[in-house]
Amino acid sequence: MAAGSSSGTGGPGDACRHHAQLGVCESRAKYREGRRPRAVKVYTVNLESRYLLIQGVPALGVMKELVEQFALYGAIEEYHALDEYPAEQFTEVYLIKFQKLQCARVAKKKMDERSFFGSLLHVCYAPEFETVQETREKLQDRRKYIAKATNQRDCFVSKKEGPKKTVSKISGRDCPWNTSGQCAASNWDPSCFTGSQGVSHNVGHPSGNRHQSPLIYPHGNNYSETSGYFGQSTSPTPSVQPGGGTPPTPLAQQRTAPIDNGLERFMPRTTHLQERKRKREEGNKFSLIGTSGDKTEVVIGPQLPEIPKVDMDDDSLNTSATLIRNKLKEVADSVSRTSVEKPESSAAKPLVKQRRRI
Amino acid sequence: MFLAHLVPSYPFLLPLSFKVSLTLQGGLCNLCLDKTNKDYILEANGVEPVINCLSSSNEETVMSAVTTLMYLTTPQSRQQTTALPVVECMLRFSLSANRRLSNLATVFLEDYCTPPQVEEARNLSKHTAVGIPLPKD
Repeated sequence: MAAGSSSGTGGPGDACRHHAQLGVCESRAKYREGRRPRAVKVYTVNLESRYLLIQGVPALGVMKELVEQFALYGAIEEYHALDEYPAEQFTEVYLIKFQKLQCARVAKKKMDERSFFGSLLHVCYAPEFETVQETREKLQDRRKYIAKATNQRDCFVSKKEGPKKTVSKISGRDCPWNTSGQCAASNWDPSCFTGSQGVSHNVGHPSGNRHQSPLIYPHGNNYSETSGYFGQSTSPTPSVQPGGGTPPTPLAQQRTAPIDNGLERFMPRTTHLQERKRKREEGNKFSLIGTSGDKTEVVIGPQLPEIPKVDMDDDSLNTSATLIRNKLKEVADSVSRTSVEKPESSAAKPLVKQRRRI
Repeated sequence: MFLAHLVPSYPFLLPLSFKVSLTLQGGLCNLCLDKTNKDYILEANGVEPVINCLSSSNEETVMSAVTTLMYLTTPQSRQQTTALPVVECMLRFSLSANRRLSNLATVFLEDYCTPPQVEEARNLSKHTAVGIPLPKD
């Protein structure tokens, strides 16, 4: 889940605290606000950054080697030494900017507290070096990532809704509003809500069926108080006219468009899910401890554990069937092989024994 | 799951302590993007405690609060999350010496507020000296 994205609890926090203990001077506050004596235990999107600050690099002229080490984890955009940064004697401080946040995350995890040319490195995020645009991108990426990950769950809802919607379009005007109620679970919730609520306000007295729309929303009662906002907020449907067959359809079309995108995204995603499931199964076979979980976390990045797994269980009925089928084929082949060999080598027992050992 | 426990307790915890712990606000920032959590938080009037966190003396809490407000902004909650005092506060943050905070505040003002809103807040702040205090460095 998103809470799992906090990549460290005590560990990284301790490292940061440890930095602070190195005789922080006043001028430091301007550079690094996050390195307070207060332990930062929860990593939020604010604290993570593509910029990494590396302290404790021995002053042996090893910048090239250092950058090479970090480049193993991803493409580096910039790097330079921070000469004005307070550092221990005989050590240097470097700033490395990765192209991707994910790479920075991995690099930090691996390189922190690692020995480098005889000295322990301290690696920290350095979000204070970001520009406004970089901060903006960082926040948006995080939002997109989670939307994608939760979409994966919503896609199951939307896939069922898709055929319903097309049918409802044919059947009547009020039906799109019925399905829009189910939209509440999806990411297009805001537009659905304002759209349909706006229409129900603007349209006034449509057919009696329309009045059903408030009832359909699962949180209909709770949102009754926020309906006042709808009147004030800019409604995306100012042009909706009562008694028009057209108003529902453009909105419904808007809604089907994102759903179609969801479906498109949905298809390739199943293959990813299948692969992940296979990897996990293999990992579970070989490792007693769930170290494979760590690997998948590294692959996926900001850990969103349980939810996708649950979805996979719902979804991959087909894939598990194919897997089983494949395995059965393999077993059948091996069985047929051994059964063929058995009559041949029934007399030659040592051969059979050899096979069993293998 | 952690979330299942935390989210129901959230509305109880925040009203209790104005000084929300760093961990709680940070955790909230992380999980408020998920749709179900967002809906829950909005439904449980969670925006107000987050706005209160903007006054926290702990800058990490403040920054997490800014980000949480960003993520909690929906067409429905926009009235709350971009209320005048909030915009005013963000204006002051955007002038902060703390680069991270000023970046966050700038993004908030640019992406989540309309220019009239910012203008209104700017005019107001010229008159009043009292506002949400900046976090101590």
